Amino acid sequence: MTDSALAMNPAQVAATSAVAPKLTVRDLHFYYNGFHALKGINMDIPEKKVTSIIGPSGCGKSTLLRIFNRIYAIYPKLEARGEVTLDGENVLDPGYSMNRLRGKVGMVFQKPVPFPMTIFENVAYGIRHHEKLSKADMTIRVEQALRSAALWDEVKDKLKQNALGLSGGQQQRLCIARAIALKPEVLLLDEPTSALDPIATSRIEQLVEELKSQFTIVIVTHNMQQAARCSDLTAFMYMGELIEFDGTEKIFTKPGKKQTEDYITGRFG
Amino acid sequence: MPATDTVASSIDVLERRSRRDARDERLFRWLLKGCALLVLAALLGAAGATLWGGRSAFSTFGWHFLVSTAWDPGNDVYGALVPVYGTVATSLIALLIAVPVSFGIALYLSEVAPAWLRTPVASAIELLAGIPSIIYGMWGLFIFAPFFANHIKPWLTNNLGDQPDDGKLSWVAQHVPFVGKLFGSSYPFGASILVAGIVLAIMIIPFISSVMREVFQTVPTRLKESAYALGSSTWEVSWDIVLPYTRSAVIGGIFLGLGRALGETMAVTFVLGNAMTLSASLLDPGTSIASTIANQFSEASGLQKSSLMALAFLLFVVTFFVLLIARLMLRQLAKKEGS
Repeated sequence: MTDSALAMNPAQVAATSAVAPKLTVRDLHFYYNGFHALKGINMDIPEKKVTSIIGPSGCGKSTLLRIFNRIYAIYPKLEARGEVTLDGENVLDPGYSMNRLRGKVGMVFQKPVPFPMTIFENVAYGIRHHEKLSKADMTIRVEQALRSAALWDEVKDKLKQNALGLSGGQQQRLCIARAIALKPEVLLLDEPTSALDPIATSRIEQLVEELKSQFTIVIVTHNMQQAARCSDLTAFMYMGELIEFDGTEKIFTKPGKKQTEDYITGRFG
Repeated sequence: MPATDTVASSIDVLERRSRRDARDERLFRWLLKGCALLVLAALLGAAGATLWGGRSAFSTFGWHFLVSTAWDPGNDVYGALVPVYGTVATSLIALLIAVPVSFGIALYLSEVAPAWLRTPVASAIELLAGIPSIIYGMWGLFIFAPFFANHIKPWLTNNLGDQPDDGKLSWVAQHVPFVGKLFGSSYPFGASILVAGIVLAIMIIPFISSVMREVFQTVPTRLKESAYALGSSTWEVSWDIVLPYTRSAVIGGIFLGLGRALGETMAVTFVLGNAMTLSASLLDPGTSIASTIANQFSEASGLQKSSLMALAFLLFVVTFFVLLIARLMLRQLAKKEGS
């Protein structure tokens, strides 16, 4: 992380790393039951960086995240208009296979939600939807995922136990392991530490730092310090609009918009 | 010193209050215990009374009572095998049909159906559960059994059974073991084990599906979303996540339905044919414990009455074993999931 890179706007970051943005959002609108929740979002999310989205409750940050893997589509009466492209392909196109999308874009939710199965099965479960692996390969793959999620040492002797016996922080790392076991390209984290204690939180943040070399990470957070600590870029949203999107350091030291400044200095929200 | 008096009296009040609380608490606990014991007493009383009433049947026939197919009031010889078989067979058929259908109904209502449809359909199911069994029996006797005899039974006997009308055995009857026996029948009417099983299935679907629907709704949204986020389809989420999560309640609902099927009297009496013969065919008439008792109780006396009592006791035993099996199954499943 160099300061000069952080001070640039996202387009420049993308340009300097000489790659096209991983995720491109173009003129994205979102409606539920007639409510206009997102109003014309445009943003370029660079590859293998951590991008955080902050903003007050109800600003649409989680809604935006939930569009990236089309998880909103499991509910009726929700509608996204516009474009979200992943490596140049529009993922909102109904022709973009759901299974393929969810294999490329993993998600971790607010509260740790292990499946009612063993620890091993929790990680293996998702892999089975995408690949047919032999038993030996599956064992290796599960171990890799648990190691990447910094959980292996704590669970290696109890893989056959029910995952609900783990602590909250361990459960959340298991959920991360479950998501990265599919080898996704993008990892969406929806307030992943909001239900965790400070120690578990800092382990997750450390993990995010380690994972960004392999994945493009988008994290929605309530916690501004968290955004400042672990992201390269920060987007500030308010009332369904993207107010400002820039290098994290710039957002937190020299925000370009009055609203951003008011929010990060605690004047509202 | 009035001040200390007030303090002393307020301490006194507190003490009295806490003594009273402790007494009330004890009383309340005893009351609760009494309510729970009442259930136990009723169960033991009913089982004991039927065992006592059936003692002369058990002492006369011994273990033979359980394995004998005889039921001959003329010679005063009785055996329980035919009604016990009829009870178990009709209930199993009912479960085989009702469980998958109920699962489908419950999944549709909790996962797939649009919101405006959920409540009316759920109320309709509850209404169905409230229909008295005599009405199902009447419908079975006058409408379903004749329909079955005219339209479904000929197809089954000719294509699956070992006694087809034209004498030519189908491929299935020749090559798949047991199927020919199960569907072979020369009995011309509809009333049979299979029809009774189907009518029972219709009767228990409302129970099972409403329990399933209710527990499916308790599955946390985030759990389902997590599975969808890994690329699961609706079916996979239902089968791998929703069902295991609600497993014990679902099995509880199934056994609630099974309990009703095992003990159902009126509807079964109407559509089972009431024949005291043991037949391997599901298309032949049979009888069940409850319908044998209902048919014969008013005229029975002596050893016959005692045999009916003994049958009632056996119904307890059958139900007990069914519940035991359910417990063992649950424990086995829990072991597999590592909890």
